[in-house]
Amino acid sequence: MDILPQLIANSLIVGATYALLAMSFSLIYSVSRFFNIAHGVTAAIGGYTVLYLAKLHGVPLAAAIPLGIAAAALVGWCLEFFIYRRLRARGASSAVTLIASLGAFTALQAMLALTFTSQFQTLSNLVTIRTFTIGGGIFTSVQLIIFASSVAVCLGLWLLLSYTKFGKAVRAVSDDAEVAKIVGINTNTIIGITVAIGSGIAGLAGILIGFDTGLQPTMGFILLLKGIIGTIAGGIGSISGSFLGAYLLGFVENFGIWQISGEWKDAIAFTLLIVFLLFRPQGIFGKK
Amino acid sequence: MEYFIHLAILFSLSALFAISLDLLIGYTGLISVTQASFGGVSAYTVALLTIEYHVNFFIAMLAGVLLASLTALIVGFVFSRFRGDYYILGTIGFSYIAFSVFLNWQSLTGGPLGIPGIPRPEIFGFAFSDNTAFLALTIGTLGLLYLCSRFIVNSSFGRVLKAIREDEEAVSVFGYRALFYKLAIFVIAAAMMGIGGALYAPFLTYIDPFAFGLTPSIYILTVVILGGLGSLRGPIVGAGVLIALLEGLRFAGFPPDVSAQLQQLIYGLLLVGLMLYRPQGLLGEFRL
Repeated sequence: MDILPQLIANSLIVGATYALLAMSFSLIYSVSRFFNIAHGVTAAIGGYTVLYLAKLHGVPLAAAIPLGIAAAALVGWCLEFFIYRRLRARGASSAVTLIASLGAFTALQAMLALTFTSQFQTLSNLVTIRTFTIGGGIFTSVQLIIFASSVAVCLGLWLLLSYTKFGKAVRAVSDDAEVAKIVGINTNTIIGITVAIGSGIAGLAGILIGFDTGLQPTMGFILLLKGIIGTIAGGIGSISGSFLGAYLLGFVENFGIWQISGEWKDAIAFTLLIVFLLFRPQGIFGKK
Repeated sequence: MEYFIHLAILFSLSALFAISLDLLIGYTGLISVTQASFGGVSAYTVALLTIEYHVNFFIAMLAGVLLASLTALIVGFVFSRFRGDYYILGTIGFSYIAFSVFLNWQSLTGGPLGIPGIPRPEIFGFAFSDNTAFLALTIGTLGLLYLCSRFIVNSSFGRVLKAIREDEEAVSVFGYRALFYKLAIFVIAAAMMGIGGALYAPFLTYIDPFAFGLTPSIYILTVVILGGLGSLRGPIVGAGVLIALLEGLRFAGFPPDVSAQLQQLIYGLLLVGLMLYRPQGLLGEFRL
């Protein structure tokens, strides 16, 4: 059997999970202008909420999944409301906010581990997963949903940002928060809602990964870093750029581990990051 | 009594790690979250040389420090080009690459199982086999490195570092090559961390990759920020306070995996709290 179709399939699946994180990270970054490290842990919170509700308490998935997304959105919003907003009001540098988000990430991840143990747990036995062969590559139904979600989120965000009043306000805040405030946009509300939407998308990613491979309290961090790498590769500040950058990362990783070996996946990803930061910090699609 | 000596050794090593990081963050404004990686390079070098080749500890330490400095020279050369938040991101990326190498280069590092049976140092027939003698060694080293650091920060070289921290552009305008200074202090800090890592290996007689990953680097960051940036007494006070706090947990009688998570919870909450209420730490002279 030729290995190439499966390699492409794997790259697309991994790329899709990275794309969900990359787009949501990029959305949050566009209004709050700092690397929100705690964004990764909201993915894990989404997944664990579904685990808690559906697996431990028998809540039907149709209710548990939206609640998981809502929990992730709520946690993201709380961090924004109780921590980042106060730092912003004080005029703290982005490095201070980054360190605060690193602290929030460390604390939340530890809380997840204390509540659910550090063991690997999976949601996959809650559903029957079928497999499909498309173009010679094998996909599971969950993986197809992940792929479809990433495309849907990309389209959804594009529509939201381009054609709604809210989207216009988000773009105004991301262009210049001061001017946006002067023309009467409530920047704190806009940033709060944007962070909640972004965190909800991350929560969705965490839930889908829980069905596909499984959950671990530490899963969010590496996912987020991959999302950031995708964002930087695509060009920071553009949703479609982060979408494509994340897929690029998926392909580089999978073709890389085919040539080298699976354990070096993360090292390959960070090498890509450093190469981009050195030679093309504005990303593939970014302007100088 | 033996317990307090053990704690005192832990304290002096933590203070040593933190002083090395304070030179970067507190004096030069370079927020590095990969300090533990350089300790790891040195610790593994010491472990391999003393166990496999029966090299004297102090010669092995010299080799470890040289290797850590060399790694820092290469990595720092790349990092010196990054600014602000990208610098932090780059160091987080390197921290993962270094961890992957410790974890996956199994033939050399023993992989996740680590390397046990690292002998205690010996010189002129005198062995630092009991903890009291070892404490003398670590306190002596801490004192020596404290004096070295004080000399560095008070020298004209140190004044340029502080100027870079305040305004890198201005320093370049005055004709100083900021890149060179940033690289130099990065290598010096890695060398100091290398000395700390070299002592850490025979103290516990056992090392594994998890001692040199991102969490330990966050621990060192917490010590420095808690104690106070840009003050050499700060890291020492920070190490004392944090170790007292973490040891308090031990007496609460939690199982080891729970107390490990509680420790992370404490680092996280401390970082968030400090950023919100006291970004200069307990004794700090520099606010991020």
